[in-house]
Amino acid sequence: MSESKRVVITGAGALSPYGVGVDLLVKSLLEGKSALSVYPALKGINGINSHIAGVAPDIDFTFIPRQYRRSMTKMSLFATMAATEALKTAKLESSPKDAALYLGSTISSMEAWIGWAQKYLENHLEQVKTTAVFQVMNNSPLANVAQALGIKGAGFGVCNACATGLVNIGLAYTAIKAGLIESALCGGTDEYHPMMTGCFSMMNAASSQFNDEPAKSSRPFDKDRGGIVCSEGSGIIYIETLDNALARGADILAEIIGFACNTETKSISHPSSDSIIDCMEAALKSAKIAPKDVDMVNAHATSTLAGDEEEAKSIAKVFGPSIKVNSLKGHLGHTMAASGSLELIAISKMMLEGKMAPTLNLDNVDPACQGVDHIRTQAALNINTFVKNSFALGGTNASMIIRRYIK
Amino acid sequence: MQKEEIIKQINAALAKEFELDESMLTPDADFVKLGLDSLDAVDMVIVLEQMFKIDIRNNYKVGDFGTLGGLYDFVERLIKQKNA
Repeated sequence: MSESKRVVITGAGALSPYGVGVDLLVKSLLEGKSALSVYPALKGINGINSHIAGVAPDIDFTFIPRQYRRSMTKMSLFATMAATEALKTAKLESSPKDAALYLGSTISSMEAWIGWAQKYLENHLEQVKTTAVFQVMNNSPLANVAQALGIKGAGFGVCNACATGLVNIGLAYTAIKAGLIESALCGGTDEYHPMMTGCFSMMNAASSQFNDEPAKSSRPFDKDRGGIVCSEGSGIIYIETLDNALARGADILAEIIGFACNTETKSISHPSSDSIIDCMEAALKSAKIAPKDVDMVNAHATSTLAGDEEEAKSIAKVFGPSIKVNSLKGHLGHTMAASGSLELIAISKMMLEGKMAPTLNLDNVDPACQGVDHIRTQAALNINTFVKNSFALGGTNASMIIRRYIK
Repeated sequence: MQKEEIIKQINAALAKEFELDESMLTPDADFVKLGLDSLDAVDMVIVLEQMFKIDIRNNYKVGDFGTLGGLYDFVERLIKQKNA
């Protein structure tokens, strides 16, 4: 790969269940804070057995002019906030004219859809405001963020369920590496709705054993884990060619050196070790590095019985027993489309700081999840290269390889 | 309903819906100058129809109102027709 096609991260923005900003995200993770709490409305819904969620605190979004804000739901507000921070940290006053935007969510706003459907069922569509159209369309976050921030380059609102954030970054990386574009804002965003928990509850994959102890409810790789805790947020990064970054004196957070994505076809809901292994090996191949060159894996690990086991087995098979592994979903829950990008940002920052958050609530490693070096206490770790995994219902697997920037 | 009450209710609804300062809502105020566009115009109609239980869309002709004062008169007329 020529020097000009190296791709670096120069800006990062986060809105997480902790609140606004990358610094708050990293600080909270390193302090071992749980972002999860009881979501009272869940208690009254038949068919939902999990009562926990990770929702962002009240945030003032009035810095976004009304003409843009009127067509946004929370997921677009979150993403606009995160993208604004990403541009700012990239030392850009606004999006460069030819910058692209790759941004998606798992589904569009359930709250907006239910409001619209309710009017349809009441035969009162004449009462639905025009802005609802722009709130429910599948590319709603993409369109709204582009409008609000004047992002005039190519726009792609790719949706790959829970792998959306990482897949969008992967596509942007691939396009820059191939010379198709020079820079992009990319990532994922999602807003919490009880239907989200309902999806996993229906499949017996939502955490319910710790409904009275929310901070303990999400416990990746732990023997007492019982399922996913859904949450919300947005993670967006600004990536560009290394040449661009150096020419304009940008600070480089990390370098993206490899990416792969494949599809599990044995089951639409259950991942298998075979396809996860294939995905991680393809990512290594694209980065032209060997497993021994990787210091740690930030796992997708959502705290489900099957998913965590398959991922742990796969990581052990590819990287061997000494590979460091953590998951941030013990702290954050599963931020859905935002998870890949939010977690990538957090791990990249912690890599630079030389500290790494452990997997929260990993009190007793499930024997089925052994075979790797789980990070269980906060440690000063010298990480130079890590793999970020993101998997999704529907079969999408994605793995990205991030390296500390070296001149 | 008296005209004064209609004006009061319209102004309150527009101020809330479009985040406008009520001091800007004078009879000679032009919708474009208030910063409202075509999407806002449709949403304004939806809000006022539900608030006053009137049918603006099927009674409106181009040119019926271009200022807030025109809107006050138009809504008052529809309310009177409904109550007639």
